[in-house]
Amino acid sequence: MQILSKKLAVSSTAVLALVLSACGGGGTPSSPPDRSAEGPETAETLTIAIASDEGTLTPFTNQTGYPGNNLVKMIFDPLAIVQGDEVIGLLAEEIQTEDNQTFTLPLRSGVTWHDGQEFTADDVVFSVDFYRENAEGDSAIDVSAIEEVSADGNTVTMVLDAPDPEFPRMILADMAIIPRHLWEGVTKVSEAGTELAVGTGPYMLAKYDNARGYTLEANTDYALGEPKVDTLEIAIIPEESTQFAALRTGEIDMSTRIVPPQQLEALQEQQDIGIVEGTEYASTLLLFNNGQPPFDQPEVRLALTKAIDTQDLVDTALLSSGTPGSPGFIHPKSAMAAGNTAPMYDVAAANAELDALGAEPGPDDVRVLDGEPMSYELLVQSTSTDRLRSAELIREMLSEVGVEVKVTSMDSDSLDAKVWPDYDVAQGRNYDMSMWGWSAPVMLSSGLIAQLLYSEPAEGPLNVAGYSDPDTDKALDALTSEATLDGRIDAAADLQANIAEQAPWVTLYYRNGAYAYRSDTYGGWTWQDGKSALHSFSFVDYDL
Amino acid sequence: MSALQVTAQGTTGALRGRWTFLVGRLLEYVTVLFVALTLNFLLPRALPGGPLKLFGSPEALARLTAEERAQIATEYGFGDPLHVQFFEYLRSVVTLDLGTSLSDGREVTDAIADALPWTLLLVGTSIILTTLIGIMLGVLGGLRRREGKGTGTLIGAIVIDSIPQFWLAMLMIVWFGVKWQLAPTFGATGPDGVTVPGVLQHLVLPVATLTITGIGYIFMYTRSSMLGVLTSEPVQHAHARGIPRGRLVRRHVLRPALLPVHTLIMLDIGFLAAGAIVVETVFAYPGLGRLTFGAIAARDYPLMQGTFLVLTLMVVLMNLVADLTYPLIDPRARAGGAS
Repeated sequence: MQILSKKLAVSSTAVLALVLSACGGGGTPSSPPDRSAEGPETAETLTIAIASDEGTLTPFTNQTGYPGNNLVKMIFDPLAIVQGDEVIGLLAEEIQTEDNQTFTLPLRSGVTWHDGQEFTADDVVFSVDFYRENAEGDSAIDVSAIEEVSADGNTVTMVLDAPDPEFPRMILADMAIIPRHLWEGVTKVSEAGTELAVGTGPYMLAKYDNARGYTLEANTDYALGEPKVDTLEIAIIPEESTQFAALRTGEIDMSTRIVPPQQLEALQEQQDIGIVEGTEYASTLLLFNNGQPPFDQPEVRLALTKAIDTQDLVDTALLSSGTPGSPGFIHPKSAMAAGNTAPMYDVAAANAELDALGAEPGPDDVRVLDGEPMSYELLVQSTSTDRLRSAELIREMLSEVGVEVKVTSMDSDSLDAKVWPDYDVAQGRNYDMSMWGWSAPVMLSSGLIAQLLYSEPAEGPLNVAGYSDPDTDKALDALTSEATLDGRIDAAADLQANIAEQAPWVTLYYRNGAYAYRSDTYGGWTWQDGKSALHSFSFVDYDL
Repeated sequence: MSALQVTAQGTTGALRGRWTFLVGRLLEYVTVLFVALTLNFLLPRALPGGPLKLFGSPEALARLTAEERAQIATEYGFGDPLHVQFFEYLRSVVTLDLGTSLSDGREVTDAIADALPWTLLLVGTSIILTTLIGIMLGVLGGLRRREGKGTGTLIGAIVIDSIPQFWLAMLMIVWFGVKWQLAPTFGATGPDGVTVPGVLQHLVLPVATLTITGIGYIFMYTRSSMLGVLTSEPVQHAHARGIPRGRLVRRHVLRPALLPVHTLIMLDIGFLAAGAIVVETVFAYPGLGRLTFGAIAARDYPLMQGTFLVLTLMVVLMNLVADLTYPLIDPRARAGGAS
């Protein structure tokens, strides 16, 4: 058996290491944790502001991926953890595999749950079985790929239904292990109370008030490293402006709200406030409804894509705090980003292609295609400043090629109901064009990327654009069936070329992450691409 | 027929009239309550989206099969036919078992019981201040108007009344919280938990915001009412009889002038929970307004219904109190049986 050592040697090449980083679930880095913050190394108490209640902080009750899932993972350890470009064992001492299908996981000894009970292999087997039965919850993990799980002494073996080189990052580093002795009687996971928020992680949930927030106390018995902050007060402050005001006064020490580009400079200039920033991997898209004319024609989508200056959107809407979107969707910093990712902006080409399609200028300079004026509604979330600005800019850009856009802003739920009713693409969609976004995990997992594009709803449950193309389906089959990382790199390159040709949507930009903190109270904030700075590496010096 | 018999018949008739009035009013309230409860049930379900989003990330929900979706909806009560849900809702109102929040698994009654005292403290304090200041300025404004003065105060009141609560709250935070650091910017308590100084300090900015934005309304209403009474015939006659101005105002003007203000304040108290949504959200104040806001954002049907119910009951209750107390301060209502 090939033993990947205490640290999972992802590959002998740096490229392969980067590929894993690009394929993790729950947000993953592509570079070592970046110690980019300044300030004291330790602190007694830190107050961190979050925007809304995150439930009882169990894997089944947190409400958001960020920051909810990040907080859950500070209480519940997974079997592995992503450190820099590597997936290394956490509760598992090492990760062993020779075919990416059977994984053997010897567990660490001497680990205890927060209530003092011993952590055992039985807890891991129970966790997998429990997740299999309970798919509800933001941090609940899809373990359907695990065909068998068994324990032999202190070692757990997992056998997958097919080889998956991304398994350590997507599942092992993302599955919060739960204690059998507390969870085995639980039937309604959405009602799990704080008494079940007991993990093996570096912080213990000491207090919860759903209007005010949480108190997390350092786990002084933590065997895997020493927490550097004794107490974390997590305060719920819904308003972004109030969070930044409280940061200025020193009432809080860190805001989990991304600093808007227009406020970045003012905050940076203030004494005792630092900014930790980096790549988020979240994407902002312009969706076309591929299921209705004329967006069912790839030529039309491609022509409109060429009319949009993504660099201008970044410069104007994000004040340069972002990266223009790649025509192949994948973030250019990702190791899976292939070949030419330069934007396709070319107004002359867009006009020529629309002319070639027979879209003749009509009344008010709006083109007419197949007897219908090229006039469309563009939906945008009213709460997102950068998307509102982008939508207005897109309206101007498309008017340059004779396409009229009517921008309609609405609340997120109303927009979701039109684009993705009940989160079920089989129900269809009711829009022409829409501003949209996917969070970091979608960008970083080849499995989730495939779900954006597969024609059939069963395989493509995230295909909100209603895109359908047999060639793309084949490219996706090739990507997801590859048993090796090298194979996935090649397959990902083919897929991106296909996306660029078909333009099911326009990838507009990837916004940078920037978070503000008090540099006079704590400087341990560590940036991880795709995970921001709120994660256990910011609070623990791991000894793995 | 003796005078005694006439008096007895008159008393009986008055009592009968009083009972008829009370029963009529009671029926009105029951009808209003039923309509309000029906709306409370329908409004959450008329909003786009639904509580499914509480059961996982969008990516995870997208993977659910139709059977799994149906199972979740049935298990948590939002998958039943609408009429079944409605009767279940009415049952829960009658038994005061408002169910469990879909967001965090708490009993809805517990969530409301935790939040309500903070709202009562916040809005109660601001209503007292708003009423005192608003009435005082309104009375002075009315009297000064008679002397051809007070235009500046009126313009000031109109300006204040038109200030958006959100905007003023942010100004309060920037000036008094960040710039001068006179008061905390968020929350209801300090790091030491619930202490009197901590609670009072955290009350300053939200109360000031609610009070300032509420004064203009009461001022203008009181001023207008004062002007109406001051120009009425009885007051003009009293003035002509040479009654001193101070006595005239105290005995003949204030009481009738403040009658409509009394009703207005009662309604204000009824709307106190709703009125604090913006302020509680901006200042992260853990009251009923923020609970309602969170419930709406999460499409948490049981919690929405619970908070709407409290709001409804408050409005109905304060209307009832206004009805019952009106005759105490207006003798005409006592004589006529209706206000």
